[in-house]
Amino acid sequence: MNINENRNYVILSNCINNELLDKFKDYPIINNMNYLDLKSKLEFFSSKRIVFNETFYYLKNNEKKEILDLLNKQNIKYIIITSNVEEVLYGEYLIVYDYDKIAVEGLTKEVLKEEKILKKLGFGLPFIVDLSIQLEFYECLDKVYFDVDSLVGELWN
Amino acid sequence: MELDGKIIGIISNDFKEEELSGKKVKDIITKKTDEALKMVKLDSSIKEELFDNLSSRDKGKVILASHLHEKEIKLVNFSKGMIKKDLEYFNNLFKRIISYGRKIILIDKNTELFLNCVDHIYIIENNTIIYETKNIFDAILTKYIDLPKIVEFILASKENGIRLDYYVEIDELLKAIYRIKS
Repeated sequence: MNINENRNYVILSNCINNELLDKFKDYPIINNMNYLDLKSKLEFFSSKRIVFNETFYYLKNNEKKEILDLLNKQNIKYIIITSNVEEVLYGEYLIVYDYDKIAVEGLTKEVLKEEKILKKLGFGLPFIVDLSIQLEFYECLDKVYFDVDSLVGELWN
Repeated sequence: MELDGKIIGIISNDFKEEELSGKKVKDIITKKTDEALKMVKLDSSIKEELFDNLSSRDKGKVILASHLHEKEIKLVNFSKGMIKKDLEYFNNLFKRIISYGRKIILIDKNTELFLNCVDHIYIIENNTIIYETKNIFDAILTKYIDLPKIVEFILASKENGIRLDYYVEIDELLKAIYRIKS
């Protein structure tokens, strides 16, 4: 797999197993870890890239944001492996796996336009993206939003 | 600890995921194996697989299949590795299971699993119930957990002075927004 060293990735997969993880064996992989342990580990982290193997499953949204802020400050790039479509918004580049095959990949906002593929594979779309695409269709919005606060602000203000 | 409800959602770090490393699937699901696998949407060819080699998604399904015959089914972090389509399927399956007089306890990190599914939610810390509610739209829950995105949106709208009903389906929410905006 070609990894661009300047990008943060999200791998969305319906089959997160040892074979998938093997593709990232050149990088340090973090599995199940609580927020405080993860934070202290990252404060003295020497590698320039890190892989989170479903680690975000165990974190709250504010904790995820703090971890990513910490990485950005240290200029550490990351790869988030997840099955949760809501987490794709944490990366700039998205690779969607259907078992061992790449179904679609590209810049996250471009891949999210592939609504049919994502829904057919059972991932769906992130809720806010899904809602704003439909509101755009009904001419209640003029663009797609990627976070709750921006969408709520635009709709009701 | 006595918990009310038929499908119960628990937010807690007190519970450990089941340790089944080194076992084959056929040694984990010991009762009505083929039927149980079918119920959780797994092929029976998985029986010979080692639990360690399964995807996280299938591990959750195997654990559920192994408990299907029990009166009280307790699942820790069942939604790990699951995709949206799975959550919809298991939401319906859980409702079917409780119709046979069973009880399901979901100790989970992803509250999307609880939406339109659980009838009680408990926050448990150090083996003590610190908060309980029947309503996933209860704003106090945000102190402890991330709520499902649709709930987050409806609560954020409320803070902006727009009172929406407690919709759990995006289509219903969409219609309500359209009515307000047009």
